[in-house]
Formats: sequence, C-alpha cells, structure tokens
Amino acid sequence: MAATEPKGHGQHAGMWVFPDATVMTADMGEKTKAMPRPFTMALAATGILLILGIVGFIARAADDGFGEIGPWGYYMAIFSMVFMVTSGAPLVAVAFRFTKSHWRRPLSRVAELFSIVGILNLLMFIPLMFLLPDIANPGEVAENELAVRRTIWFEGPIGAPHAWDLLGVAFLTITSMAILWISAIPDMAECRFTATGFRRTLYSRLSGGWYGTKRQWNSQKAGLALLGAFYFMILIFMQFVISSDYAQSLIPGWKDSIFPVLYTITSLQMSLGAILVVLFIMRRWGGYEGYVGKSMFWSASKVLLGVTLLWVYHLFAFFITFWYGRLEIEQNIIQYLVTDTYAIIFLLNLIFSFAAPFAVLLWNPVRRSAWGPALAGVLVLFGGLMFNIRIFVGAANAAPGAELFQPIMEHVPAPVYPDIWDVFMVIGGLGAAVFIYLLATRVLPVISLWEVKEGTLYQKWGKFMRGEYLILGKPE
Amino acid sequence: MQEGKPLNSKQVNRELLVSILNSPKWFFGALAVLGLIVLIAMSTAGFMINQGFGVTGLNRPVMWGFFITNFVFWIGISHAGVMLSAILRLSKAEWRRPATRAAEILTVFSLMTAMTMPLIHTGRPWRTVYWIYTLPFVPYDYARGIWPNIRTPLVWDPSAVYTYLTSSILFVMVALIPDFAVLRDRTTGMSHRIYGMLAMGWQGNARQWKLQIIAGVLLSALILPVFVSVHSIVSWDFGMAVSVKSWHSTIFAPYFVVGAVHSGVSAVALVLIILRYIYGWQNYIRHEHIDALARLLIVVATGWFYFFTMEVIFGFYGREADEIAVRNLQFTVSPWNIWMMIFVGMTYFVPVGIWLSRSMRRNLWIMSLACIFVNIGMWLERFLIIVPGLARKQLLTFDWYTYRPSSVEWIIIVGTFALVSMLMLTIARVVPLIPLYDIKEGEILRTEIKIGRVTVPAVFRED
Repeated sequence: MAATEPKGHGQHAGMWVFPDATVMTADMGEKTKAMPRPFTMALAATGILLILGIVGFIARAADDGFGEIGPWGYYMAIFSMVFMVTSGAPLVAVAFRFTKSHWRRPLSRVAELFSIVGILNLLMFIPLMFLLPDIANPGEVAENELAVRRTIWFEGPIGAPHAWDLLGVAFLTITSMAILWISAIPDMAECRFTATGFRRTLYSRLSGGWYGTKRQWNSQKAGLALLGAFYFMILIFMQFVISSDYAQSLIPGWKDSIFPVLYTITSLQMSLGAILVVLFIMRRWGGYEGYVGKSMFWSASKVLLGVTLLWVYHLFAFFITFWYGRLEIEQNIIQYLVTDTYAIIFLLNLIFSFAAPFAVLLWNPVRRSAWGPALAGVLVLFGGLMFNIRIFVGAANAAPGAELFQPIMEHVPAPVYPDIWDVFMVIGGLGAAVFIYLLATRVLPVISLWEVKEGTLYQKWGKFMRGEYLILGKPE
Repeated sequence: MQEGKPLNSKQVNRELLVSILNSPKWFFGALAVLGLIVLIAMSTAGFMINQGFGVTGLNRPVMWGFFITNFVFWIGISHAGVMLSAILRLSKAEWRRPATRAAEILTVFSLMTAMTMPLIHTGRPWRTVYWIYTLPFVPYDYARGIWPNIRTPLVWDPSAVYTYLTSSILFVMVALIPDFAVLRDRTTGMSHRIYGMLAMGWQGNARQWKLQIIAGVLLSALILPVFVSVHSIVSWDFGMAVSVKSWHSTIFAPYFVVGAVHSGVSAVALVLIILRYIYGWQNYIRHEHIDALARLLIVVATGWFYFFTMEVIFGFYGREADEIAVRNLQFTVSPWNIWMMIFVGMTYFVPVGIWLSRSMRRNLWIMSLACIFVNIGMWLERFLIIVPGLARKQLLTFDWYTYRPSSVEWIIIVGTFALVSMLMLTIARVVPLIPLYDIKEGEILRTEIKIGRVTVPAVFRED
C-alpha cells in the first residue's frame, strides 16, 4: 500500500506511520480475500487441533459422562481461558475508543473480531451448564452440611445458576457481535462496491442503507458508545458470575471478594496480550507495516504493564489477607491453590502473568519495539492458562459429592493431573479459538478502515522549533 | 480540548503570582478565622488528653470512632496528588497542567493532618513512640520487656504514610524549582534570599530542564507504588483483624485505594473551583479542566461502586451469623440504614448522575456541590465501615453497643478541615498553586489542525 516512510527521530525513530487513505479500501479488500500459503497452513493446523479437541470431548463424555464435574476440570479451564480472552478483547476496543486514544485505531477491529470467537464460548458453555451442581443439597442434609451451598445466587432466583449463566453468556456474545457489526458498518458499506462473491452479498446485507451521512455517523458513534457502556456492565457481571459459580462456590469455605476482580483483570491482561500478538503477526508477516506503527505497541505496552502490576497487586491483597488471618479455613485454601497442591502451577502462573512480562516491559527500548510487547503478550497468555488450570481444575476437584455442601474444606485435596483427553481438549479449545479467528479475518477487514482514515486526519507530522514532531488533533 | 485564549509568559507570571505578590484584602481575615477554629480544636484535644477518653463517645467495643474515620478520610484525600500529578504526567494528559500543583500540595497537608488523628486517638500521644522505637532514652520498653510489634499493620501504617509524605514533599519541591526561580527574580530582601536558596541555582538552561523533567518522571514512577501501598496498608488495619468479621475482606485494599482516589480527585476539583473564584484564574482553570476531571471521576466512581458491590455481596455470601449481624445493622437498623442510603447516594448516584451531563459538568456551582457530596459520602463510608463492625463485634454479644460522638470529637474533626484550609491558604501566599512552567510549556506545545472547514485544537508530541 502507499504509505509514507515511518516517522520519528532519536529514540522514537520509525514510531509513526501515516497510511494513505485514498488506497486503503482497495488494499484492505485485497488483503481480506487473499489466502497466502502460511495462512492456509495455519488454518489447517488449527483445524486439526479443533478435531483433536472434539475427539477429547467425546472420549471424556464416553468415559465419565456428565454426572460429576470433577473429570471436566480441564475443560472448564480451557472454556474459561477462551472466555476471558474473547470477552475481554472487545472491551479493549471499547475502552480506548472511550478515552479517544488515537493510537488505538489499528487495534480496534483486531480486538472486535474476537467477538466472533464468542460463538465458541457459547457452544463450550452448554455442557458446563449441565455439569454445574445444584445449589440445593440433593441428599439428606447431614450434620455439618448446608441445605443450600454458598453461591452468589443465595436461594434464588428460579433457574439459578444454570439458566441465568447460559442467558448471560448468550447475551454477552450477542452484544459483542452487535458492537462488531455497528463498528464494521461503514467499512462494509465501502467495501460492498469492490468486493465479490459471498463478501459482496454479506457486506450489502449487513451495511444496510449506509451512505455516510452526518446523521448516520452520529447514530453509529452513539450506538457504539451506548453498546460499549452496556457491554462493559454485562462483561463485568458475567465475569463475576462465571468466576463465582465455576470456581469460588465449588470450593467450600472460599469466600474471597477480590477474586472476581482478579479474574476480570486477568481477562483484560490476556485479551490485550492476545491483541498484541495478533498485531505483531499482522505487521511482521501480514503486510500491515503501513497500518500498524510501533507507536501502537509503545502505548499499548504501557497499559499492559499497568494491568500486569494491577494483577499482582490484587493477588497479593488476597494472599496477605488470608495468610495473615491464620484461620484454618483460609489456610486450607492457600495450601490448596497457592502453596501446596497446585504450588507449581501457581509458580508458573506468577512467573508468566507477572514476573516475566514485568521484566520484559520494564525497558523502554523493548516497549518501543513491536516484538517486545508481543512477547509479553505470549507470556501473559501462558500465565493466564496456568491461572485457569490452577483455579478451575482446583475448583472442580475440591469437594467431590456431598463434600460440596460442607461449610469449609476440611482437608486439602491432592492435585489432578491431565490425562490424554484433557490434553486434547485443552489444545483443541485453543486451536478452535484461533481457527475461528482466522476465518473471521477472511470475512471482515482486519483493520477498521473508518477509524484509521479518521486518524489520518487528526495526526500530522509537522515542524516545531528546529525539528519535526507529531501533531495530535484533540477534537473535544 | 483547548478552549482558552493563548497566553504569553509575562501574562502567566503576572496573573499566577497574584496570590503571592499581592495578597487580597480578605486574606488575613480568612486566615484569622481558620486559625481560631484550629486553636479551639487544639485546645479541645488538650482538654481531652487531660481528662481522658471519658469525654468522647468512644466505648467498648466501639473504640474506633470519629478520629479513625477522619484519619482514613484525610489519607484518602491525599491520594489526589499522585493520581493527578504522577499518573496524568506519565500518560501525558494535557489537561492536567493547572491541577497538579494544588493536588500535590493538598496531598502533603492532608497527610500531615491525617497523622494527627491517630496521635490524638491514642489519648496519650507521647506513648506513640513505643509503637516504633526501642531507644536507649526510652527505658520503659527495656524495663518491662515491651518491644514494638513490627508485624502489626499499625506499625506498617506510619512507615507507609511517612514514606509517602517524604516522597510527596520531594515531588512538590522538584516541580517547584523553576517557579522558585521566577519568584527569586521578582522579589527582594529576605524573600529573594529564601526563594534563591530554594531555586538551587536554577537558570533554566537545557541541562537543568532535562534533569528536572527526568526527575519528575522518575519520581512519578517511583511514587506510584508508595501511593498504592499507603491506603492498602490503611485498609489492612481493618482487613487483618479477623475478630471483626465485616473487616476481614480480601477486597479492602483496592476498595480503599479507589475510594481514596474518588474522594481525593473530587477534593482537588473543589479546590480548583475555589482557586478560580478567589484569585480570578479563569484563563487557567477553565471549564474544560473541570469537565475532564468530572469525566475521570465517572470512571473512578464506577470502579469504586463495583468494589463496593463486591464487598457487600461477599459480606452476605458466607451467610455467617457474625457478619450478617453487622450487615443487618448497616442496612436495616435506623439510623445506620439511613446513613447508608445517604452515603451511597452522595458517593455515587447523585454525583455520577450530574457528571453524565456535559452542561452540568461545566457548571461550576453544580460541580462544587457534587464534589462536596462525594466527600461527605466518602467520610460516611469510612464511618459505616468502622463503627457498625465494632458495634457488632462477635462473639461477646453482651458487649454489643452503639456509638454517639461527643462535642469534643466534633470540634476536633471540624478543626482538621480548618487546618487543611488554613495551610492551603497560607501556602498560596508562598508558592504559586498553578505551576507557571507547566502552563507555559502547554502554551508552547499547543497548535491547531485544519480538517476541511473545521479547525481542531492540537498538540505537539514527542512520543
């Protein structure tokens, strides 16, 4: 594509790119329908992983059925992993749009495209709905047992938690898809004239009567703002629900008000990490150097660094309160999730979610590069996987049978190691998410055309004193 | 974002040094009134120390009341300085420029005021030394085998607060150097010598500017962990106490920090509006700045409300009798439930409702009211955490009691507000409460971009 040479000087050399708005649509159209060999191979590889995942799922169902949640711990972990990344990513786009950060422009669509992977969340959640034990004690309530176990639903409402959880996940998926659709309308409207085949039909149908009138632009921006605020609320609520229903409430005696917050922070950290990885791949191998400047990585990496520090702060707030309290009930939880049963997983979680990305992102030259933040992204994704394994495998196997209805976890259970079907399900879940994402990039332009074009109006390269610097327009 | 007219350096110097070089007529009158209130509060504290705690409403089990509430409140206010100055400096938010100095100075004074509260609360302030030191000239410890318990949050507290106070003073002083040099060049006699000493030979050459900027950025980054640790540790004064069920919550640390930022930024917005009014700084503290602060406050308030909701839900989650007793008192027993409604309304629903409207955000009277509401609400929040928790302390239920503050406590609390106001007013006579160099830098960096027929305000950026 026609773009100026990257601008910047001194330590900021090559930081900013100024794409040529006149050829952007045609260029993106070409890129969207292209199927280069590396892309096809990636699609095939992730497709194979998806099939392995399905095999693992069927085998697990055949071996253990859906009666007990214990054998499904790794499935829960991978569901949560995919859920955290795909539900958090649209919020990243929404948040930076709210703050009017110009650097976010190449990132928005990459983030919003994760909404399509939300369909996988919904499908993966259906078996989980059946696996979640009832709130009420099904057997005769023995001494030292609760008639109703501790959950965020207390003793109601009807259908809780199963129906409400499913409804919530479905609602979240629909809202994120709506955000993607509204955001992509101007791009689809523009591409409908040049696209061919199914894309032309799809773009024409989905862009409706968009002609870019002032009224339409105002409606689109208001729609994005309203849906964004709404999505933020649903997302926070659903992450609270999932982290409570599928983790905290399954470990007797675990009462930890910071855990939903930690879960949400981990989700944002992983989403941002995943977005940075995708952007690095696009820039390095996808031919998007003219759209994705290093300044985007520079700014996003500061946010990632902040979120990483927040993550460890929240983890410490949990740990110090439980550790200092010296209550048996809390000591057991710490032994189970932190210092004893899942100690190695916890250590990996701590290293990859905090220590390693922190060590990478601490350095200005690394943050100013494209590879540095992407590397940190890979690290936090692995750390997030460890987080989910520690929490969800731990939760699924903390209290088998009637023990779930005891008020405290009286003994610290042994760790549960994955068998071959668990391994298949974990890699299959990850493969499926990547597979769907790759397909989505062939349907919609992976760069938000209207936002990047708008950005070219607000960002200039201009003379100041004896040098040239970036001029950033601040419309409001 | 830039709405005001361009300002030149001479005009900036003339207008922003007005509080120092030409004191308004009301200045000494206001100072005298505030000083009198502080004097009355100090005398009352002296009376209380002489008579003992019997003159307060403190009792068993509610041994923490207004004093500790006020301590947490002022620590909270102190969080505005770093929030606005360090974070917004690191994020290069242009609108921070007129707000930073007042925020930093408010931090210093509110920290000083906060630290008087535990001292007064001990009833025997001189014995505070036993918390921290085992010095040869304090033989009491050795003779009776009393050693400081360094594992208690009550020792972490002063350590964190004094670290924060020291670093905040350093932060303010580094930022003040170029402005001290301006004052040095515009004063004579003793003032000239003092400002000259404080300016530390500042001539404004390229090397000095570079060092000053680097020092500012480094201090911003270094002070952030201190800022977070201070209120976290204050929260652990409560969170580590397992015997008070509603306090032993893992969320307390971030909940307190976000609450502190909420009240602190609201206090700064209020101070800025007052400064604009009394010194006529309309060109510097513009509607756009208050608007930006209000938008920031929407985010902070919503974050705070999320933490508050989590704290309450997980209070009920355990369904433990001990904790339900406290929640029952907070939410269903009058007058606590009425205070609770007032607190939530004033802290979140009313101000956020106001801030959602652009025209309201730009109405300074309404903004002042919203900021006052937030701070009343946040004061009540601390009160409603501390007192009901102690009033329903388990397991000795025969000890359940309530708390009614005495006039002694009211006077001392009012005195702390007068003290902070007096200190702010006094410092306005000594240093510019809007940083001159920051405003001038902003003026140099501002520009415009023409898009079609529209001209958009813009700014030069190096990164």
